[in-house]
Amino acid sequence: MTKLYFFLILALSLNLSAQDDLLAELEATSLPATEYTFATWKGTKVVNLQTNEMPGEGVLQYTILHRFGAFNQDFVYNFFGLDNAQVRLTLDYSPKEWLNVGLGHTGFLKTYDAFAKYRLTRQSKGEKNMPVSITGFSSVYYANQRFNDGLDRNATTRFSFVNELIIARKFTPNISAQIVPTLVHFNLVETPNDNNTIFALGLAARYKITKMHAITVEYVPQFNGNSYQVPGENGAAPSLEKFSNALSIGMDIETGGHVFQLFVTNAQGVAEPYVFAQNTGSWLEGDLHFGFNISRVFTIKKKK
Amino acid sequence: MKKTLFISFGLVFSLAASAQKLSTRNAEVSFFSATPVENIDATNQQVSSILNLDNGQFAFLVPIKAFQFEKALMQEHFNENYMESGQFPTAKFTGEIVDYNKISLDKDGKYTLVLAGTMTMHGVSKEIKQEVMVTVKGGKLSLKSDFNILASDYKVEIPAAKADNISNSLAVKVSATYD
Repeated sequence: MTKLYFFLILALSLNLSAQDDLLAELEATSLPATEYTFATWKGTKVVNLQTNEMPGEGVLQYTILHRFGAFNQDFVYNFFGLDNAQVRLTLDYSPKEWLNVGLGHTGFLKTYDAFAKYRLTRQSKGEKNMPVSITGFSSVYYANQRFNDGLDRNATTRFSFVNELIIARKFTPNISAQIVPTLVHFNLVETPNDNNTIFALGLAARYKITKMHAITVEYVPQFNGNSYQVPGENGAAPSLEKFSNALSIGMDIETGGHVFQLFVTNAQGVAEPYVFAQNTGSWLEGDLHFGFNISRVFTIKKKK
Repeated sequence: MKKTLFISFGLVFSLAASAQKLSTRNAEVSFFSATPVENIDATNQQVSSILNLDNGQFAFLVPIKAFQFEKALMQEHFNENYMESGQFPTAKFTGEIVDYNKISLDKDGKYTLVLAGTMTMHGVSKEIKQEVMVTVKGGKLSLKSDFNILASDYKVEIPAAKADNISNSLAVKVSATYD
């Protein structure tokens, strides 16, 4: 008799859960096989490093990047560094979902540049399991500054190049990080002892404190960085000092079509080669700069 | 006694197993948000649905990331800031067509009936009761239902700064044609 009740209950529960069974049937057969991670970062840059993000296909992006004068350079007299700010402007476009190309101009050494960013893999789980998103970034810079030293310079000496391989992972909805093997090449360096090609390893992480705000930190140590000459004080002989590694701490603020990034960094050059391999600012000596990156996107080609 | 029980149980089970079900992977869900500043409109054509022809019970499964927006950034914000589709990848709607037995599958016809069920979205479940238009044509059955939902009912927060751009009340359209 107890068995009979058992079966009755079983039959009843089968009936009750029929709707859930329908759902289970759907879940088993129709969910997308691979789920891709998105929005690993809010912007296309952390501070100075690129992120694996790029504007969507058919989207034009305009960015304005500012690095104010240092805290230790007559800060108040220079209107909190604003009077000797360095500026960089870029315009980029994504003709494909996986490709972004752009042009930039940087005030420092009156540099013009062209760059491309290309997605190699996307972090995903499911049928296709990929632990990280890998994106490449390559750019070429032309320093157009006039020289008054009377020496002949051919154009090739004015070029420099940067390649970044951005390996990023979104660990949780709030925590993302990336490592960025970086290669900087200068066609011309100061002395024969300097390296033309410098290797660096960018490290960056973010933590989202609200849906619209995130804290970011970024550090780019060089493996074979060059040195620069510091004039000696009071007639002393000039000394050599190592170029610094760029360290930046910032905050991302997202407002619809804009991302505002506010930060403190020891690198003022804005363009990648100067930030990663020719940075004379030191955190310990107070060579810190307020800075911001602002981006605005325009959808040129609508998706449907 | 034991034998009959097993047989009858087997019978019930086989009945359940042979229940006639229709399904589709191309059902469509769209929503529309209208504010004086901008209109937002997204469509999802990767919705799957299943209908039990014996009793009118149904289920819809909506992969959130498959909603397509006009602007890529809108789509990213929808997923990242509002629906949090990393944590809540699907919306579900299960229930039944009330008075399903009024429908005759043998001849073409249109019926206005009621859908009653539970919608689960962004981790929140809510009872839903809405009018549905059922069409039978050439032996094919299709459903169509238009209704409004409130984002706040599903704990989807729209920050005050975005209230001019995004409406809390969304006009939802659901349609499915079963094969």
